[in-house]
Amino acid sequence: MTYKVIGKRVKRVEDPRLLTGGALFVGDVNLPDMLHAAFVRSDYAHAKIKSIDISQAEEIPGVVGIFTAEDMGEDWKPGPPLVSPPPTLEDVVFNSRRQVPLVKDKVKHAGEIIAVVVAETRYIAEDAVEEIFVDYEPLPAVTDLEKCLEPGHTLVHDDLDSNLAAHLVQHKGDYQAAKAEADYVLKRKFKLDRGAAAAMENRGIVVDWDQKNQHLMVWDATQSPIPIRNGMAERLGLRTHQVRVVAPFVGGGFGPKIMMFYAEEMVLPWLTMKLNRPVKWIEDRKENFYATTQEREQIQEVEMALSKEGRILGIKQSIIHDTGAYDPYGLTIPLNTQSHSMGPYDVKNYTSELSVVFTNKIITTPVRGAGRPQGIYIVERMLDIACREMDLNPLEVRRLNFIQPDQFPYDHEIIDQAFTNLVFDSGNYQPAYDKAVEKLEYERFIKEEQPRLRAEGKYIGIGLVPFIETTGVGPYEGARVAVEPSGKISAATGVGTQGQSHMTSFAQIIAEQLSVEVEDVSLVSGDTAEIHWGTGTFASRGAVVAGNAVLAAASDVRSKVLKLASKVLETPEEELELEGGLVRVADIPENSISLGELAVLANPFRGAVEPGTEPGLESTKYFGPAYGATAFGVHGMILEVDPETMMIKIHKYVTVEDCGTMLNPMVVEGQIHGGVSMGIGNAYYEKLHYDENGQLMNASLADYLLIFSTEMPEIFEVYHENTPAPNNKLGTKGVGEAGAIPVPAAFAQALENALEEFDLEITETPLSPNQLYELLHAKEEDNES
Amino acid sequence: MKVEGEHIFNGTPGQVWDLFRDTEVMAAALPGTKKMELIEENTYEAVMFVRVGPVAGEFSGQLLISNEDYPRQYTMTVEGRGKPGFMKGVGDVTLVDLDGNQTRMEYQGEVQIGGRLAAVGQRLVDTVAKSIISQAFEILDQVLAEQAKAAEEGREAVYKESSESDYISAVAKDVIKNILKRPDNDGDEE
Repeated sequence: MTYKVIGKRVKRVEDPRLLTGGALFVGDVNLPDMLHAAFVRSDYAHAKIKSIDISQAEEIPGVVGIFTAEDMGEDWKPGPPLVSPPPTLEDVVFNSRRQVPLVKDKVKHAGEIIAVVVAETRYIAEDAVEEIFVDYEPLPAVTDLEKCLEPGHTLVHDDLDSNLAAHLVQHKGDYQAAKAEADYVLKRKFKLDRGAAAAMENRGIVVDWDQKNQHLMVWDATQSPIPIRNGMAERLGLRTHQVRVVAPFVGGGFGPKIMMFYAEEMVLPWLTMKLNRPVKWIEDRKENFYATTQEREQIQEVEMALSKEGRILGIKQSIIHDTGAYDPYGLTIPLNTQSHSMGPYDVKNYTSELSVVFTNKIITTPVRGAGRPQGIYIVERMLDIACREMDLNPLEVRRLNFIQPDQFPYDHEIIDQAFTNLVFDSGNYQPAYDKAVEKLEYERFIKEEQPRLRAEGKYIGIGLVPFIETTGVGPYEGARVAVEPSGKISAATGVGTQGQSHMTSFAQIIAEQLSVEVEDVSLVSGDTAEIHWGTGTFASRGAVVAGNAVLAAASDVRSKVLKLASKVLETPEEELELEGGLVRVADIPENSISLGELAVLANPFRGAVEPGTEPGLESTKYFGPAYGATAFGVHGMILEVDPETMMIKIHKYVTVEDCGTMLNPMVVEGQIHGGVSMGIGNAYYEKLHYDENGQLMNASLADYLLIFSTEMPEIFEVYHENTPAPNNKLGTKGVGEAGAIPVPAAFAQALENALEEFDLEITETPLSPNQLYELLHAKEEDNES
Repeated sequence: MKVEGEHIFNGTPGQVWDLFRDTEVMAAALPGTKKMELIEENTYEAVMFVRVGPVAGEFSGQLLISNEDYPRQYTMTVEGRGKPGFMKGVGDVTLVDLDGNQTRMEYQGEVQIGGRLAAVGQRLVDTVAKSIISQAFEILDQVLAEQAKAAEEGREAVYKESSESDYISAVAKDVIKNILKRPDNDGDEE
């Protein structure tokens, strides 16, 4: 094919609508006769509900109804298990406890919903919420990941023997034997804490039950419209065709919007069917801190066995992962942590024990990175510390340990989040690593720049971290592509858009196949009326899984176009070419027919279509990979610490990404920029502080520090390498989460390097200026005593 | 959150002790107090209006006195809740006789807060708590002075009640003072 659109820096076709306020978000949906919901949420993290007094609230004019768990009767049931535990491992403990629509007897985290008020306006609903009095019997809160497993500890779920939600052990090789041969064994404990996804658009849902039509219409700011449709139909006793879920433009997903079902998603459809009126709820920012899932809290004890040259002989790891009050998302996050704890390295021996615990905190589900940053953090920290203790060159040690190009596909012999064997499909790590070393001018910085700046009294350091990202996992996605009588192309896929540029990059794939302009392709994503099957936008899989389904459907339409044109133009298919919306005979260009005319011919109004053929120039195809595509990248930074304020400035940031074939490099770079900004937040600013009572102490954007553009690097360079994925036709690998994954690890390395004279060892993330100050002063006191 | 400090009163430990057990005096002294009454021995019920930054509302709760050792020490347990959240605290109070005329009150305790108060008001709660305490001491000093003066003049003591706006303006003053007190603003203070 000579017409190339894939890989071009095409400007986003969705931007004009987004930038001029012309795009539909759930908040824009306003229906006649619509009611508004507001929720009574628990102030306590752990408490028994003694009574709920709604008498005063009911009196408020404009209040239509107030409902508690009791009112739901038979319809009250917990959410479905979103992801089940891995079936392929032996001795897996998994206690499935799922969130409930409205709390019946015991609150298990602050922010859990006790009652819902439905009123003519949100103002009235909120006022009524203030007048509802819940009498609680407060219970001690379970918050400490280690202590909560001690015998006799307070239980989050009273029907269990302990707070253990899950337990499993994964093995590869023989760690004990590797340890016995090691020249050096390093042991450290790491603390990884929580952050918020903090999407610009909070969650929101509008539901409208049409009694006469027996149809439920739902607008939901979700990353998974099709599973939401399926689940809602099942919960409500409807057929799937009776429910249509639209995820219109969504202002950022970052993972928590895949969670299903949130309590609100269980309560609102029930309300509209009960009241027979549309109901709307838009999450406010305070609710977002209490009601939207979070991530990253783990405590890890890690042991690494090394040869004297710095070859990793084995890793032993014990992870305690906090799932919060419930575990609807199964083991996805901690399995991802395991999958990334060997980094891009050829580690032959690995033992990892995973304990997942229930606590009286908000549920954790994947947030951009989804367990991967924790894995990369510990393996890179261990290598950094080992290099310092053994006096080895950190660059050489990484090069020594990389999986080599001839070792792919590389089977890690453990299972990953998709419950299949963790196989790295392809990779070529060293060239990308060397490129990053070169672009960051690593050697020159260490030899010349740093000594000069240090002589000036500056605390400036460098960090460089390679990482892998498992992406593009199954099960499958689908796409439908059709040529309209106008000659324009319509397409649909089940993966909704939360800013990933699907309408542009998927259009590029179609445009290339059908030789049309990108603007001539109109793609609908996230509307269950347009496509029936699919899972959703998550796990850096859109470009890989949906992208290849789009390619398959578009190429099938191309075949249909050529077949029909061959008949009409009475020319063999091989002699036809597609260009500019026309099919023409290669030698006789004036002998042509437009795609639109072909579409009309393919859908005759009279006559008979040939038996065995289908009308229209349309195709629906699915793609499901046997296992994922593993991307690679390197992030490096030069940062300076102000020793007075502990504030940092990142002078330069360099990334080299290898996500295989890029559909649109501008989109890839945008993902990296966004991911890195999240990663910097994860490293130094954004931390959710819970106290020992399970109270979130910084649940506002005044106290929870999202980074500003002022915290972004002064110089930011993104470079690419291309090792195409062998298991999909496009050769793509995901990149949506990549930007966020290695930042805390690279940041810790750079910070230690900047503060080398203090001999600091960083084993926790996120840090903060305060915490750095405390670490340094604790160090000083240690030195003095 | 830890609450601790000390204050010197012009009075004997016995006088100070009695002062702190006089619901009328305490209702006047604690800014924002709408109601305070003894419901059973050593148990008080109170309703207080509290404003912490953007979070404001009424708290109602109970105050329990235990471990009494007249006139030297006692323990206070406070539990209250309202629309803005909840608080729970335990503190020890010690009265030290200085020279027969003066008493040093030492207090230390631990307060837990929750709900909107914790989520949104957390940054300011420390300053507001200190402000409430210092305002209370100021008024109690005045009460002691008035009591002494009244005794001298052989009449009943008369107390002035503080208003909600007195409380709010005093808190605002303390918040600003606290900001100005930061080390990097040393030079600008006063």
